Amino acid sequence: MTTMFRAAAVAAAAVLLHITPTVVLVERPDAVAQLLPGADRYFAREVHLADADAHKLHEAVDWSPTDGVLTFYSGRRGNALIGVLEFVRVDTPHGPVEVTVAFDTRGAIRGVIVTKATVETKPWVLEALRAGLVGHYRGLTVADIPAASTALRGSVGELPLYMAQQVDKGVARALAAYGTFYK
Amino acid sequence: MLYDLSRADAPVKWSVTCLLLTFALAYGFGGWMVALYAGFGPKQVAATYARSEMSMPMPPESTVVVEHPMTLSQFAESAPHPVDTALLVQDTHVHVPMYGVIAACLSVVVLGLRMSRRAALGTISLLFAAPWLDFLGMWLTKFLAPGFAWLTIVGGWAMAAGLVIVTGMALWQMWLRKERAVS
Repeated sequence: MTTMFRAAAVAAAAVLLHITPTVVLVERPDAVAQLLPGADRYFAREVHLADADAHKLHEAVDWSPTDGVLTFYSGRRGNALIGVLEFVRVDTPHGPVEVTVAFDTRGAIRGVIVTKATVETKPWVLEALRAGLVGHYRGLTVADIPAASTALRGSVGELPLYMAQQVDKGVARALAAYGTFYK
Repeated sequence: MLYDLSRADAPVKWSVTCLLLTFALAYGFGGWMVALYAGFGPKQVAATYARSEMSMPMPPESTVVVEHPMTLSQFAESAPHPVDTALLVQDTHVHVPMYGVIAACLSVVVLGLRMSRRAALGTISLLFAAPWLDFLGMWLTKFLAPGFAWLTIVGGWAMAAGLVIVTGMALWQMWLRKERAVS
């Protein structure tokens, strides 16, 4: 009975502490300022997807945005467009990761910042970032398939590699959403 | 009484004590985390779990685009940790089974306490009903009305009350109450 009680206690504590609270790696306003440099006006474009479009997106990248709404944020300097960005969340068994993907005026990726992770995934994400993960996304267009994680294979551990694959997934979602619904 | 914790061997009492104190530690941190990520008031809980204001009750027949200006400071999110449907599914999947295990462990402790049958039934019911109320409140807050946040608050406090009742009674009966000598 003693063993049973102890095992239950350890399991209970582990699961209660397994709750994966979000950790902000970069504040959203800071990410926006970095990814849309020079912008002095900002706009949020909410795209409320009809069933058919939501299905199309789901088929393409196995993803449905929260409440069926895609939000694109554009930054302008005066009337000149600086760029567009999206915050994309990827749910993992270790909690959600938020990937911020910015596009330049030609529609290519200007930069990617991982803005949120969890207490559990933060060290893995940071290791992947230190290995140069996000640099591999620069210049990708909607015709490309992001696979920056493959470039990290062998240089990071299994869990950072797994998180890199999740970031790939977030960038793929951003590309699909931007290519299909940002007109 | 076949199973009486107050007369159990010291190792059994000690393991039950360790179990209860471990639960108390985990619950303490759980409460701290609720304070950090959701809050204890109905408004904060509703802000965490209710659907976002921009969601539509039904998907539109054709995709709708709405654009509005915003400031850089508005990129900072008002809700620190909004939980959408996908995350609530994950949270429910992770938490409910473990809450069941915790309730079962505490119920085993209750079975070894000296209390009336009615009190034991009531306490065991409380232990299992509390997490149900907690998560029911979250789901109803999301899909019916923000007012159901009260149910989550009641459920959370009921979980705490269940632990305090069982722990208090167990520690009292195992370690503090003097046995009357039987002549």
